[in-house]
Amino acid sequence: MSSEHFKYPVFGQVDYFKYNNVASQLASHTPSPSHSQELGAKKRTVDPIVTGTSVIAIKYNGGVVMGADTLLSYGSLARFNNIERMKKFGKSTIIGAGGEYSDFQNLSQVLDDLVVDDGCTDDGTTLSTTEIWNYIARVMYNRRNKGDPYWNSLVVIGHDNNKSFLGKVDLVGTCYQDNFIASGYGSHIALPLLRKAYKEDMTLDEAKTLIQDCLRVLFYRDARSSRFIQLSIANADGLVITEQIALDTDKWDSGDSAKKKKNQDGRKKKNNYRNDSTQVILEYGHNVV
Amino acid sequence: MFLTRSEYDRGVNTFSPEGRLFQVEYALEAIKLGSTSIGIQCEEGVVLVVEKRLTSTLLEPSSIQKVVEIDYHLICAMSGLTADSRTIIDHARIETQNHRFNYDEPMGIESTVQSICDLALRFGENRKDGEERMSRPFGVALLIAGVDERGPQLYHSDPSGTFTQYHAKAIGAGSEGAQTTLQEKYSKTLSLQETIQLALTTLKQVMEEAVTTTNVELAVISKKEKKYKIYNKEELEAVIATLGQ
Amino acid sequence: MMMDDLKLTALPEKEVPISHHRFEPYVDNGGTVLAVAGSNYCIVAGDTRMSDGGYGIQTRHYTKVFKLTDKCVIATSGMQADTIALRKRLDTQLRQYERDHGKSMSTPAIAQFLSNTLYHKRFFPFYTFNLVAGVDEDGIGCVWTYDAVGSHERVRFSSQGSGNQLIQPLLDNQVGKFNQQIVDGPRELSAEQALSLVKDAITSAGERDIYTGDFADIVTIDQKGVHFEKFDLKLD
Repeated sequence: MSSEHFKYPVFGQVDYFKYNNVASQLASHTPSPSHSQELGAKKRTVDPIVTGTSVIAIKYNGGVVMGADTLLSYGSLARFNNIERMKKFGKSTIIGAGGEYSDFQNLSQVLDDLVVDDGCTDDGTTLSTTEIWNYIARVMYNRRNKGDPYWNSLVVIGHDNNKSFLGKVDLVGTCYQDNFIASGYGSHIALPLLRKAYKEDMTLDEAKTLIQDCLRVLFYRDARSSRFIQLSIANADGLVITEQIALDTDKWDSGDSAKKKKNQDGRKKKNNYRNDSTQVILEYGHNVV
Repeated sequence: MFLTRSEYDRGVNTFSPEGRLFQVEYALEAIKLGSTSIGIQCEEGVVLVVEKRLTSTLLEPSSIQKVVEIDYHLICAMSGLTADSRTIIDHARIETQNHRFNYDEPMGIESTVQSICDLALRFGENRKDGEERMSRPFGVALLIAGVDERGPQLYHSDPSGTFTQYHAKAIGAGSEGAQTTLQEKYSKTLSLQETIQLALTTLKQVMEEAVTTTNVELAVISKKEKKYKIYNKEELEAVIATLGQ
Repeated sequence: MMMDDLKLTALPEKEVPISHHRFEPYVDNGGTVLAVAGSNYCIVAGDTRMSDGGYGIQTRHYTKVFKLTDKCVIATSGMQADTIALRKRLDTQLRQYERDHGKSMSTPAIAQFLSNTLYHKRFFPFYTFNLVAGVDEDGIGCVWTYDAVGSHERVRFSSQGSGNQLIQPLLDNQVGKFNQQIVDGPRELSAEQALSLVKDAITSAGERDIYTGDFADIVTIDQKGVHFEKFDLKLD
């Protein structure tokens, strides 16, 4: 039954003097690679390893805004802190990815090839966002049919022919369009917020604020999220993916931090420390940037 | 002319400089050697009559069948190398049954004829793996009669893979004479009975022997029943009796 | 060497069963569809909610009823990705048929063809629950109801999907008028009656089935063609 069991080290219960042959013991702790055994050497994503979390996007008056943090997790480890999870494809499309990042990189190559091939035909037309979204949906569905999915949920935004596009595709090929979309933890936490806060004909600034508010709330509760985010915008002016933005996450004036505030100078202080970075350091005991 | 002919009539896929495929043209000649078949379409249905050449008194007439079923609503008569028609009819029967399996409905007449003609052009050296060997064009022409939602229809298909719809058409040895008669006598207002009469009298004219119940076959598809009917001896006798004169 | 010096040892081990959790290719996105056929009409309804396989709603605007020809629609609940694949297959085959046979496929032909399509994929089925509805060549309303692997039956009315258990008995009673001693008026519903019943039916499913709601597409098919209309359902 050994093949049915996995041995893992139990931390905090170390018996330092029990073993002599340390090296061989350590070797036995190396976890076996997690591609499925019964399929031999053939590798497929049976579990996402390096993952990105939520992506959220909304349509506004004249375009679409999408936001995602820049963190890639390795299980519970915050593995890479500054990785773009949103990528441009062609002149009118940006895709935001959650899930296994290597799968997204692989898919990106496929899509880049597609865009280049399309450009090479030189027929005066380029792939619209809808077409790219549709294509991705077929690719994702085909991979799920093979039992070897791209372990991602992909949010696709774009703007062409004066029309905004916002759609989503997941690892089994489910695909749909909507006025606002949130993937991953966002579908549990941000989506209800968006349903309440969304209104038609928002301005770009309103939309950006809403996205940032959502990502902030996600940061408060999603343990695999980060305070550092990027926004991307698709509108008539083209595509923009912003530099990294650090969210103000000190707005949560409750719990211990709020109590401390009150006690420090004996009276209730509200929100006037919001942008004070020294305060951030005081509060969290380290510089988060 | 003869010189070029002998040079270009070997390969089935080689055009002559004048743009002809001689093997296909020779195949068309083979049809003219066959016994006569006549098809006439009228408002109420389609009629097929064929001459059976009984080369010997010792020959069993019922062993020759020149009107065959493709499907309930679809039959065909042939002239030429009738053995070749086996391949075609097998193909057509499979196609029509496949259509019933896939769509729970009888196959359209034109679609069936089209698929027969697709087969007719599949001769030559190039063939895919597993495909049956077809080294030469078919030496047979077909009159295909059927009824579908577009009504009764009569089609003619030949070895070149061409198909044409006719109101009345004769093929085989006596086709020239018969076609002329049909041209004169055909009218769109003919009843089914009149059509049967016209078909038989026309055939009678081009036949060397007298029309009997053993040397002709008669089949009808009526628009109403959408099912073919091949006349048996008694029924045929009754029809022949009305020809009289 | 250093380890020896420090007398470091391996961590104690705990043995746990490997969870053979494999990729799950199927998701049930829920949703309800139903159809009622009369002598010269057919009315189809389907909600537009798409669930995430659990309690979440992915979108409130996913239409489950697709026009196939001027006389036929398909209404599908189940897994949305499979629905789309199935619809695309049908669409291309329908076009092919149109080219080959010079006419559009009749509703009974589509019904048979869908069955074959589903059956050919029975070892990795489309997780879809279908209704084919429309009018036949004579303009008579017709409905076919399916299971995921192609079993099918021509019926006068049917429902499929997550709200099926709630709606089917209602239709049995109100459209089929089964086991009723006294029936006022004609046994067959008029198009207006059927329309109103269908709206009530899908609204009722929305009351109790969490996978049904948001909006409904109400589709009327008759000799004149296919007519879509939107209808509000509860958002909760």
